[in-house]
Amino acid sequence: MLDFLHYGFMQRALLSSVIVGTTCSCIGVFVVLRGMAFAGSGLAHAAFGGVALGFLLAVNPLFAAVLFCLGTAGLIQAATRRAQLRMDAAIGIFFAFAMALGVLFIGLMKRYDARVYGYLFGNVLGVTPGNLVMMAVLALVVIGTILLFYRPLKFLTFDEDMAEASGLPTVALAALLLGLLALTVVVSLKTVGIILVEALLVTPAATAYQLTHKYGMMFVLSWIVGVLSCVTGLVVSYVLGIPSGAAIVIVATLLFALAALLSPKRRKCKVCGHESSA
Amino acid sequence: MASPTEQPVRFDHVTVAYQQSIAIEDVSFELSPGEFLGIIGPNGSGKTTLLRAVLGLVRPVSGNVVVLGAAGRELPNVRRHIGYVPQRRALDPQFPISVRDAVAMGLYPTLGAFRRPTAGEQARVEQALAAVGLSESTGHVAGHLSGGQQQRLLIARALVQEPQILLLDEPTSAVDVATRSAIVELVRRLHAERRLTTLYVTHDVNEVLPCVDKVLYINRTVRAFGSCAQVLSRETLEALYGGRVIFAEEGGRQYVVVGDHHA
Repeated sequence: MLDFLHYGFMQRALLSSVIVGTTCSCIGVFVVLRGMAFAGSGLAHAAFGGVALGFLLAVNPLFAAVLFCLGTAGLIQAATRRAQLRMDAAIGIFFAFAMALGVLFIGLMKRYDARVYGYLFGNVLGVTPGNLVMMAVLALVVIGTILLFYRPLKFLTFDEDMAEASGLPTVALAALLLGLLALTVVVSLKTVGIILVEALLVTPAATAYQLTHKYGMMFVLSWIVGVLSCVTGLVVSYVLGIPSGAAIVIVATLLFALAALLSPKRRKCKVCGHESSA
Repeated sequence: MASPTEQPVRFDHVTVAYQQSIAIEDVSFELSPGEFLGIIGPNGSGKTTLLRAVLGLVRPVSGNVVVLGAAGRELPNVRRHIGYVPQRRALDPQFPISVRDAVAMGLYPTLGAFRRPTAGEQARVEQALAAVGLSESTGHVAGHLSGGQQQRLLIARALVQEPQILLLDEPTSAVDVATRSAIVELVRRLHAERRLTTLYVTHDVNEVLPCVDKVLYINRTVRAFGSCAQVLSRETLEALYGGRVIFAEEGGRQYVVVGDHHA
């Protein structure tokens, strides 16, 4: 049954699935609780510009995507603060701009390179040892930063105005969160691709949200759902010979549907009797 | 830590503007440690801006705000000594956080990244919950509390900081009459027990009449500042409420009644 684990590419695929499942599910808690789903989608699309630039300049596309995503996150934050735009408008402007640059870079290439489009839907079986190292380093940065700023990010997410009034640097923390989201998108590009990464940023955390009233427990459940989705999706894709990114997202969505159906939040809160519609 | 004997709040000719629109203009007043200031004024008169200036969340375009000896760019450094209860807005009923955790957030600015709360700090959380009457609700989801209970939660979170200054921005708006009385009594008791310098913004002077040392009537600029007797004249109150007012007394307490009253 586990014969496929003898293959090096499958071992790397499994490791990358765990890395992606862990990183996306942790940052996903903030994405769900702070309503940042569009930011995740926008940064994922912005990554396309970076990947295309990487191929155009013949540098590591993931490295180029890191710079592109962080740059886009910085522009979104700056436009939100300085131009006093709503964040969704700023995201709309800059993710389209980054996509347009991606199309331009592809047009500037001397010959057609189909590998660019491989990043749209991901290919977990094509993860190289180099990709894996880069993914692991970025994932460590993301998870380490979340742990380091766990309390301030919790306060920011619960009540931004009060967090600021209490003396926390909320502007810097919000920018940090956007930067971490950008890095997470890059971590996931090779595995699920630009189009489908949004699902992993939202669905595991949204599933956990159905199941708990506790903030810390939401991270734990989100992590379990994220890793379970990625690993199960990988195995299913191998066994059935279907695209891995799609299989991962379908598994995650089925888990969400199950959690939504069985959610204890649909019942009366045992402690205070509050009826919830979550 | 700022000294408890430090002058808590001083405004020297402070003007604050949002882009081109002046919110408060040439505001000057000062408080001594432990004083209770009631701030009254119509909607849009700059009451909330005044509190935000104390917190250093808005910078004056002219003048100087001095809080616990800090001014200008130093103001954010004393925020941890200021408990702030904002105008009530419903907490997210779906946010996964308990009442105890929400109150404990008041400790965050002093805890840093990894330090766990000491036994003393945990006891402060329990004491704050007890002080506002939420000891029985510590495990509840914060957003599931009633409006009045959520207001108590915000007061508890402010108290956990062990502030030297307490700012309350219309803490009784959007709660029923019974809850309003309970919150006012709670604030009065806390002030009496802890001698916190308190700035209490309200539309209803009756709320603060029994407890305030001073009243500031603001309508963009300071219209009156001083003791209740100095500020709450018929002329001032009729300007504030835009109608006739009468003073009534019941059980040794004074009340202000607004509107036309026929015998």
